[in-house]
Amino acid sequence: MGNSSSSSGRGHHDETVDYGFLAPQGVYTGPRDWNQAVVSQLIVARKLAPFYRPLEDYEDDWDDDQILAARKDLPDPENADTVTRIEATHANASRNGHNKRPGMQKEPSKPEAAIYRGSVECPICFLYYPPNINHSRCCDQAICTECFVQIKRNEPTTTHLVSEPAACPYCVQDNFGVVYTPPPWRAGIGSEGMHSVWSDSPKGSQQSIDTSVRPPTHKRRQKSFSADSPEVVTTDQIRPDWEAKLAAVRAAVTRRANRRIIMRQVGDRLIPVGVTSGRVHALSAEEAASAAESAEGGGSRRSRRRQQAQQGQGFEQFMGMAGQDLEELMLMEAMRLSLLDHEEQQRKEAEEKKKQETAAAAASAGKTDEQPSEAPPAPVPGPSMLEVRSVTESSPSNVASSSSSPAPVSFSPSLIPQSANGEVPGHKRKSWSLSRSRTPPPPANHASNTSPGDESSLSTWRRRTSSPPPFSTLNAALTSTSTAAAILRANADGGDAITPSTNEPHADNISAGSIPSITVGDTPNTPENIVIPSRPENGSVRPDSQADSASSLYPDRSGSALSSYGQLPSSPESGVDQEPLLSHEPVPSAESEHPKKVTTSNEEPRHISS
Amino acid sequence: MASISARRLAKELREIEGEGCPVGINLIKADDFATWWFTIEVMGDSLYQGEVHTLQFRFDPQYPISSPAVQFLVTDGRTAPVHPHVYSNGHICASILGNEWSPVLSVVAVCVTLQSMLASCKKKERPVDNDRYVRNAPDNPKKVCRFSDY
Repeated sequence: MGNSSSSSGRGHHDETVDYGFLAPQGVYTGPRDWNQAVVSQLIVARKLAPFYRPLEDYEDDWDDDQILAARKDLPDPENADTVTRIEATHANASRNGHNKRPGMQKEPSKPEAAIYRGSVECPICFLYYPPNINHSRCCDQAICTECFVQIKRNEPTTTHLVSEPAACPYCVQDNFGVVYTPPPWRAGIGSEGMHSVWSDSPKGSQQSIDTSVRPPTHKRRQKSFSADSPEVVTTDQIRPDWEAKLAAVRAAVTRRANRRIIMRQVGDRLIPVGVTSGRVHALSAEEAASAAESAEGGGSRRSRRRQQAQQGQGFEQFMGMAGQDLEELMLMEAMRLSLLDHEEQQRKEAEEKKKQETAAAAASAGKTDEQPSEAPPAPVPGPSMLEVRSVTESSPSNVASSSSSPAPVSFSPSLIPQSANGEVPGHKRKSWSLSRSRTPPPPANHASNTSPGDESSLSTWRRRTSSPPPFSTLNAALTSTSTAAAILRANADGGDAITPSTNEPHADNISAGSIPSITVGDTPNTPENIVIPSRPENGSVRPDSQADSASSLYPDRSGSALSSYGQLPSSPESGVDQEPLLSHEPVPSAESEHPKKVTTSNEEPRHISS
Repeated sequence: MASISARRLAKELREIEGEGCPVGINLIKADDFATWWFTIEVMGDSLYQGEVHTLQFRFDPQYPISSPAVQFLVTDGRTAPVHPHVYSNGHICASILGNEWSPVLSVVAVCVTLQSMLASCKKKERPVDNDRYVRNAPDNPKKVCRFSDY
């Protein structure tokens, strides 16, 4: 009986459930951003009302034809075609005497019309649906499936990093969900072997069909269902990717916040030389924790696994994610070009200065007090080489290990956001400490990145690098998992600037007179060897002679011993009797005492995981 | 076929025409399903006695899932009522127009809500940040109200 129907029109018949459909009927035209597979499954399982073709209007005294005529037109040819075929199939198929005839013939037992008896108006779309309609779990209000699938969480944005569950449109209770009571009969998918009302009473009167078919008038529930009861379908269930979406947006923000721009200071300018990817953090324990947290109650393995599984598809939906790499590359390329430009200029200036210097040295031998005046205030764009901590050329794997290792010297305190990166809206000073703990550099790597300065004078510490690789911005940026950084030691007043202990925060005084100080962990202090002959240029970015700028910027400090630019103020010979400019030891404490450090981070990762 | 918004608005319109608007509210323009105008006045005792203001509704194709953009008109001699939640450019800070919008609400329901918002006002004054807001406000109030409602 009922079974026979499956042989006649199975292909099409299988697409319907209780004369409704598995896919929307075009009430809404926006993107179908729910998980259609899940929705179909729920419909087949009779946990969600099928998508019925709604009626524009409905009156209780309408006959079948009026009902069928009131059915909403189908939106697109594809669906219309399907339905036509279905109807044709029905018309041709003789199913145990229950023959559906096309045309205007009055056939009281037309199930397609009969299901609309007692139609209910959906309060949202104002269309009429068969009385077996979903009801809100909380306040028991009717809602059609078309409207239900439209209701969702607000998409998280980079400025709004939370995602509250959708609230009931009727009573505003959180975790909107619906409960569906299927009709007592079945048709279409899942009807095999079921007792079919239609087949059994082919000649039944309208009344008998009504009584047998219509689900008992919806009785108002006494209690509401909780969001996690098995009968309830929530908006999150049909959009299981919301977690992945949220995690993706959070990760993007975190990564952005984590990104550091590597700068060099030249006079009062800051030259961006690279950018860290910030990608590391996306995999950090912190992030994982926040992801797990967002999974909430389900903090279980299941939800995490689900999340991972969805990540593949979820991530790609985010422009921010896909565009990220490109964006970074473009930024780095811009930096590289600017750097090339800068190098060129620097080289010229350096040469000029060298000549000048030689002349000056010759002229002023023994007349050291003259020197300041001869030295231009900032003759060499003495960049503070804010250290770029590149990972040993190869390794992302390095990241993990380095993050857990103690960080003897690394810190990335003073990176200046505004000049380079338009997308860094602000900065929080606190974040330097986070970045430090997260990605301490392998100390050995320091050396390799601070490529030795070349011209005139170099302090010895710079030369410690046995084999400085050519500095490549791109390379450094790409390989550095996070950065390095540097302290911009800025001292407007000049005099005490060279005190190596970095605990005097003058960073806010960056001016022409500022001198960047570099703290490098593994740098041995070698005060001897102060005068260094110029070195062959290697064409790479030169951190430049710190000493140069130091002495020239603080002319008054260059004591009698400063007979040439090669002298470090911090060297024993210099008039400055304090500790060396670059010291290993004081770093950690200095770091903690630096309130003025600036970083490019715009978001403290911790905020994100709320 | 018509979008959900046109379909639903057609029904709302039919209802308005059939049953009329609540007292104090009058539909003055509904030429299409994109922009509707209503006049609104507060009946009975209130600070706004005798004032008639014009409300403009703008609908996008996702209405009623997405909220309408509702504001008072301040052109052609019309004014926005002086109210702590109404900016001088006509924008209204009301939660139901932002994050508390529900697709169950209708145009008439919004009118009635705003009418009662005016009726319950104790002191006629502009929002404290009126000048700053008006200076930077976009044309469409929905673009800002979403997060300012918290």
